[in-house]
Amino acid sequence: MSDSVLSIRNLQVSIQSRDGSMNEITRDVSLELKEHEFVSIVGPSGSGKTTLLRAASGLRPPSGGEVIFDQKPINDVPKGLAIVFQEYNKSLFPWLTIGKNVAMGAAEYSNQERAERVEKALIQVGLSGFATRYPWELSGGMQQRAALARAMVSNPRLLMMDEPFASVDALTRNHLEDVVQRLWDSSTFAALMVTHDVGEAVYLSDRVLVLSARPSTVLAEIKIDLARPRSQIETRRTGRFGELVAEVLERVEEAGRASVGIEDTIQK
Amino acid sequence: MIGVKAGPRRGSTIARAGLGWLGLAILATVWQLLGMELHTAVFPTFITSLVAAWHVVTSSTLTTDIIPSLERTAAGFLISAIIGITAGMVIGHYETVRDWTSAVVDFMRSLPTPLLVPIAIVVFGINGRMVVVTIISAAVWPILINTANGTSTIEPTMIDTAKTYGLRGRKLFLKVVLPAASPQIFAGLRVALSVSLAVMVVAEMLGGGSGIGYFIANAQQSFNIGGSYGGVIVLGCLGWIFDTLFLMFERRLLAWQRGTVGGLLDV
Ligand SMILES: Nc1ncnc2c1ncn2[C@@H]1O[C@H](COP(=O)(O)OP(=O)(O)OP(=O)(O)O)[C@@H](O)[C@H]1O
Ligand SMILES: [Mg+2]
Repeated sequence: MSDSVLSIRNLQVSIQSRDGSMNEITRDVSLELKEHEFVSIVGPSGSGKTTLLRAASGLRPPSGGEVIFDQKPINDVPKGLAIVFQEYNKSLFPWLTIGKNVAMGAAEYSNQERAERVEKALIQVGLSGFATRYPWELSGGMQQRAALARAMVSNPRLLMMDEPFASVDALTRNHLEDVVQRLWDSSTFAALMVTHDVGEAVYLSDRVLVLSARPSTVLAEIKIDLARPRSQIETRRTGRFGELVAEVLERVEEAGRASVGIEDTIQK
Repeated sequence: MIGVKAGPRRGSTIARAGLGWLGLAILATVWQLLGMELHTAVFPTFITSLVAAWHVVTSSTLTTDIIPSLERTAAGFLISAIIGITAGMVIGHYETVRDWTSAVVDFMRSLPTPLLVPIAIVVFGINGRMVVVTIISAAVWPILINTANGTSTIEPTMIDTAKTYGLRGRKLFLKVVLPAASPQIFAGLRVALSVSLAVMVVAEMLGGGSGIGYFIANAQQSFNIGGSYGGVIVLGCLGWIFDTLFLMFERRLLAWQRGTVGGLLDV
């Protein structure tokens, strides 16, 4: 237990809807994230993945259960935890240049160290030379890399990512996956990524958790035993990769069927 | 890219500024011709009025009326901005505050200014302070309402991001909410600026004791026709100066917005 970075215990989240009724989004999710482990959570759209990450990161209080980060229960976003949001275009501040946006993540350092860290982070994601540009002068993929640089600039112990590549094209997505993989390989942080792309989850992770439809629970956990470092072409060509993707997909399908079942009963 | 575009863009700006002056020149010509045609004391020509305006600014009226009016407008506008932006951000950010205050705000903003001037005179007397308070009572609302709207429509992801980087309380408001809502805030400020000028004149006419509004009202009552038209021209110039300064300020502060969706592509 002591080598666990994050442990989520029986997390439950209900959101009050406009008419005052409570809407159960997450029913019961538990997960242990070990030091330098890469875990993905896949679940159908609208299953409450963003809600789960917000509760797990301290951005919103859970309705039940607890979250322990670094042996301490969290009630606010703790230091050492960085988040990359689903919508990079709403997460980068449009009134700040890329350099200043990235510097937001390193506010606690001295001016000189901050400048060095910002430069290093921008190089790591392949954006050196773009520090003085504004977010809207960059393509979507570049903006998400800037968001990644901002998350990495403070050397986090845990990086949470909410469908980080959902809104970029497939080629850019492959490229960004490798950017993340390289960062993770060359560093010590643990990663918790939420996605609905099964291939992406298998490609990057040590473990994949399958979330059920709302109210969500963990349906299955699949260990990904692919050798590292992985490469888009070589890894995806292996039979094992295909098997794992199929296995996860099967579980996701089950989740989908379960939710159809729920909708049926609601209609009756 | 930007360098290539700068040429035609600047050109069109100059062309448009030129059109603005042309419009003004046409208006002045029409005024002049109409004045010459009517040939009556109650409607002097443009040039006569311009000369009168020149006399107004070069006389002691400058220090006794024009400068006090400038100061009152500036003070009323700036205090409105501080109150309106601060309260607007708080109201917009916290849903509970919004629910509690919306009825009060709706009531207060719909009180007509002419109704408030007599009350202000009773409370503050006939002086500049009364004018400033009256300006605030009218100018604070467009700022407050626009700021609250801008704040409540900030992307939740943006606030989440700020919280992730440890921004809380005053820092959150200053570093994220204020810039994120600044396009709407500036829209409110610009309305408030013209409201400030209009209310300044009305309040001074009704009981300023001094000021350009007081001067115009006085000139009208003592049949100083030239003086009252001159005063109106001076007032127009004051408005133009305030608006120009404001736009310069806005362009500097909102330069980042140029390339974003819905931004002012052509400034
Ligand atoms: N602030 C809120 N108020 C009310 N309902 C909410 C709120 N936030 C989320 N929900 C509801 O919670 C459910 C899950 O939303 P969430 O954004 O967590 O899903 P998601 O799995 O991230 O979806 P996607 O894959 O589309 O990103 C949705 O049905 C949504 O309507
Ligand atoms: Mg989501």
